[in-house]
Amino acid sequence: MTTAPGSAVQRSYRTLWVSLRSFAVFFALWWLLHWWNGNPLQLPSPLKVFEALWGLLREGEIAEHASVSTLRMLLALSLSILVAVPLGFLMGLSPRAEEYIDPLVEMLRPISGIAWLPLALFIFGVGDTLPVFIMFYVGFFPILLNTVAGVRQTDARLLAAARTMGIGRWRLLIHVLVPSALPTVMVGIRLAFAASWAAIVAAELIGSPTGLGFAIEWYRQMLMTPKVFAFILAIGVVGYVCDLGLRSLQRRLTPWADGTGASS
Amino acid sequence: MTNRPLDHRALVWVRKLVLPVMLIAVWQFWASTLPTGSPAPAPLKVLQTLGDLLSTGSLLSATVQSLGRVVLGFAMASVLGIALGLMMGASQAVRENLDPIIESFRPIAPMAILPIAILWLGTGTPTALAIVAYASFFPVIINTVHGVSRVDRKLVLAARTMGISRWTILTRVVLPGALPSIVLGTRLAMGVAWTAIIAAELAVGAKSGGGGSGGIGQMMFVFYAYNIDLNAIVVCMAVVGVVALLIDQLFRLVEKRLIPWKA
Repeated sequence: MTTAPGSAVQRSYRTLWVSLRSFAVFFALWWLLHWWNGNPLQLPSPLKVFEALWGLLREGEIAEHASVSTLRMLLALSLSILVAVPLGFLMGLSPRAEEYIDPLVEMLRPISGIAWLPLALFIFGVGDTLPVFIMFYVGFFPILLNTVAGVRQTDARLLAAARTMGIGRWRLLIHVLVPSALPTVMVGIRLAFAASWAAIVAAELIGSPTGLGFAIEWYRQMLMTPKVFAFILAIGVVGYVCDLGLRSLQRRLTPWADGTGASS
Repeated sequence: MTNRPLDHRALVWVRKLVLPVMLIAVWQFWASTLPTGSPAPAPLKVLQTLGDLLSTGSLLSATVQSLGRVVLGFAMASVLGIALGLMMGASQAVRENLDPIIESFRPIAPMAILPIAILWLGTGTPTALAIVAYASFFPVIINTVHGVSRVDRKLVLAARTMGISRWTILTRVVLPGALPSIVLGTRLAMGVAWTAIIAAELAVGAKSGGGGSGGIGQMMFVFYAYNIDLNAIVVCMAVVGVVALLIDQLFRLVEKRLIPWKA
């Protein structure tokens, strides 16, 4: 589609230049709005936000909250993977198991993780468990559904060939089914991450005394708007970096898979 | 012999019902062992509360209010997202310039914007609308751009050769070509929007001390913080789930009607 002239290096320089230019326009507009609005509590100037960001970075406050949130996210994601992937294999391989489990899944899935917040607040109270539970719940479904789909997609000819060669059930699982399902499972994990990272903010904002979501709301109540903006930026950056990490993991683990999956 | 498949189908239905029924039975049994006056929810009490909430009409009006906000915010996001997406798809210059900005906002969760929205717009409907619109904007624009990029170049070139105006090409060639992707984007957006409105109403309720914003999310928060009625919270959760399901089904139906060649 793109028919820009020049070498790859020239093109990437051009992309960089265009991005810089759009950000310059963006910040200029922000500045104009700030100047026109005239209320630094509502819209601080970009400079003030960067000052706040620098201060928070130097004092280690961002690192502190970001590490708390990231650890919770990793814990919840690992839990979802540990539960959802084996369950997904079971459901993908045995139609009987799917008949039993699927209705329960379809009953719970439309209820968003956020809707669990009040009940979970009552059960777990304010603390670490609540955000981890919400993120586990939110991440569980994309991983489960993608695992089931991945197992189902396995080429029937491969399965037949392996069986003809007299391969055991266990080795069939390890050498045929797992490699074939892995790319789809990885897509599920990335979707799970995106959903649970969006949910963590809500969970921490309402039900946790630490973490990035909490920090945003805390500084809003203190009316320290530049710090609110700085923490919003931090959420975006940490989310983006984690997604980059997952993408490179995806490429390492499943180099045979094409593309990185649809975005949703 | 003839009713064999019927038997089989009945058996499948029984299997499908086993776990949900067991879960609810265990839940009811567990709740009945608790001392009276315990706030723990129980299936029978949940049903009773559902009846109460329906008869007072408060549940319905809260749901309608939330749905109204979702539809309005979603409509704003769709108009903006589809228009911008078509422009980005049609012109490389527009795409190059907007893409970096949109991609850098995308990882910022809608709920992270909420404190700023409260600062700017207060704790009422405008904030809820802003959150919904922000949340549903990204699926719409990303899928629109993706859809336009998949439109057959040869069709566009052929239309251009025939001297058809840019506007006609856009509405008669590009838009139908991109439609499947756009409709998919709006369905995803609507799902995200429904989640976002619950989160926004809940958090506004939590952080403004129950300031009157209404909606089903706020209703849940009131049941959590003031009335401590867990049965009612479970009712609200079920309503959230059912509405999400209905929205999804409705959009799938629209998808089938609008693009019969794909579904």
